[in-house]
Amino acid sequence: MSDSMIRIGGILLSSFIPLLKAGIMYTVPLAIISFTLGLMLAFLTALARISSNKLLRSVARFYVWIIRGTPLLVQLFIIFYGLPGIGVTLNAFISAVIGFTLNVGAYNSETIRAAIQSIDKGQWEASKSLGLSRGLTLRYVIIPQALTVAVPPLSNAFIGLVKDTSLAAAITVTELFQVAQQITARTYEPLWLYTEAAIIYLFFCSILTYFQALLENKTKKHLIT
Amino acid sequence: MIEIKNVSKSFGTLEVLKNINLTINKGEVVCIIGPSGSGKSTLLRVFNNLERITSGALYIDGKLLDSRLEESEGIPVPPNEAFEIYSQLGMVFQRFNLFPHMRVIENVMLAPHVVDKKKKEESKAVALDLLGKVGLLDKAKAYPVQLSGGQQQRVAIARALARNPKIMLFDEPTSALDPELVGEVLEVIKLLANEGMTMVIVTHEMTFAREVADRVVFIDEGSIIEVGTPKEIFENPRHKRIKTFLNRMKPSG
Ligand SMILES: Nc1ncnc2c1ncn2[C@@H]1O[C@H](COP(=O)(O)OP(=O)(O)OP(=O)(O)O)[C@@H](O)[C@H]1O
Ligand SMILES: [Mg+2]
Repeated sequence: MSDSMIRIGGILLSSFIPLLKAGIMYTVPLAIISFTLGLMLAFLTALARISSNKLLRSVARFYVWIIRGTPLLVQLFIIFYGLPGIGVTLNAFISAVIGFTLNVGAYNSETIRAAIQSIDKGQWEASKSLGLSRGLTLRYVIIPQALTVAVPPLSNAFIGLVKDTSLAAAITVTELFQVAQQITARTYEPLWLYTEAAIIYLFFCSILTYFQALLENKTKKHLIT
Repeated sequence: MIEIKNVSKSFGTLEVLKNINLTINKGEVVCIIGPSGSGKSTLLRVFNNLERITSGALYIDGKLLDSRLEESEGIPVPPNEAFEIYSQLGMVFQRFNLFPHMRVIENVMLAPHVVDKKKKEESKAVALDLLGKVGLLDKAKAYPVQLSGGQQQRVAIARALARNPKIMLFDEPTSALDPELVGEVLEVIKLLANEGMTMVIVTHEMTFAREVADRVVFIDEGSIIEVGTPKEIFENPRHKRIKTFLNRMKPSG
């Protein structure tokens, strides 16, 4: 009884540093890089979706349709295992970044588009009457307000992404979950190791939730609604 | 300054303006009055292209901006020139439409800075000058949400003046205000009138219209019923509809 507890304790202790390291070296960068690139893509896609150019609108709609209609795991497999078939070989981390970026871009473009469209029509009219072009109005009037509206759903999306990065384990990225799998294969303690991995995810997400609350308070301040 | 000829405007099948002819002269203050839903706001918004006309022609400063007539009025100016000319009409809205994420001073200096490409310092000087004029210098650093309705509307007026408009359009500038705040806004508009600003004002404040207007336009169901001096319209209207309307507008007899 106490022997096995000591054994498990030893395993958890010795695996803590590798797990945390995998989280800091792979999980967190993967999430941050993909989210940053993905947000830019989401922005461009949202602007394309509300543009007056029909071709742009169609391309954007097609992209969102493809990404939302297929499983993320399947997309990752296509990028990492499939693309070499046509001569495009990417390393696992880059493949994961591409897959997650495309997903962040598609899902959050809808959030950003909705936020832009939620801004009162009177803001557009006032801007137009002052001589601001469509572009200037978006830049100075609409987008700053839309971002405030979008901050809560976007930060939820970011926290969701941190957890989704565990899917990258399936394409050999040695992130947190992959390392947990490796250690489990050696030690045969799945319950304890996966629980330990879960606790580390929880730790990362709690920190992010804290920053999310700070950011929301900061951006909410001046808005009437 | 502004001339509209045979202008009609429909929303789908609903004809909101019917064959309207009206000229606004330089330096003139024109008040538009009429029942709710009669098309007053739409008429005002046609002037600066917030609503596009369905038929007719629109001239500003002698230039043809938009023509939807069967017989040719000539060729309207190109779209970018038209956009610039429309933006020389300042507009003040019933619900202020201030930019809530910007400080008062930033609301006023935005257009001079990003549209006229004036330097920040210069735009700021323009803005401070105008805030002084509407009596809100001390609120320059506040956010709109921290101001009363009357103060917000005065900021909106300063903002509309910031690019030196040739004409000011007001759409019921005091309708969203508590009664005790109406006066401060009307004072600012009177100040502009005394400076010779050309203005078109949609209003329900009959006493004010009488005092400030050179001409009053009465509009009902999308048609101009009568145009005249305040004296003619308020004391001796030719149309019964105007009498009925004025009687209804009188605060308790
Ligand atoms: N964008 C729109 N789409 C459809 N109908 C509209 C639109 N804007 C105005 N209308 C209709 O046009 C008519 C005239 O509206 P308008 O706002 O010009 O009236 P108004 O005289 O300003 O009224 P109020 O005194 O209530 O402000 C109304 O019947 C209104 O419902
Ligand atoms: Mg109206």
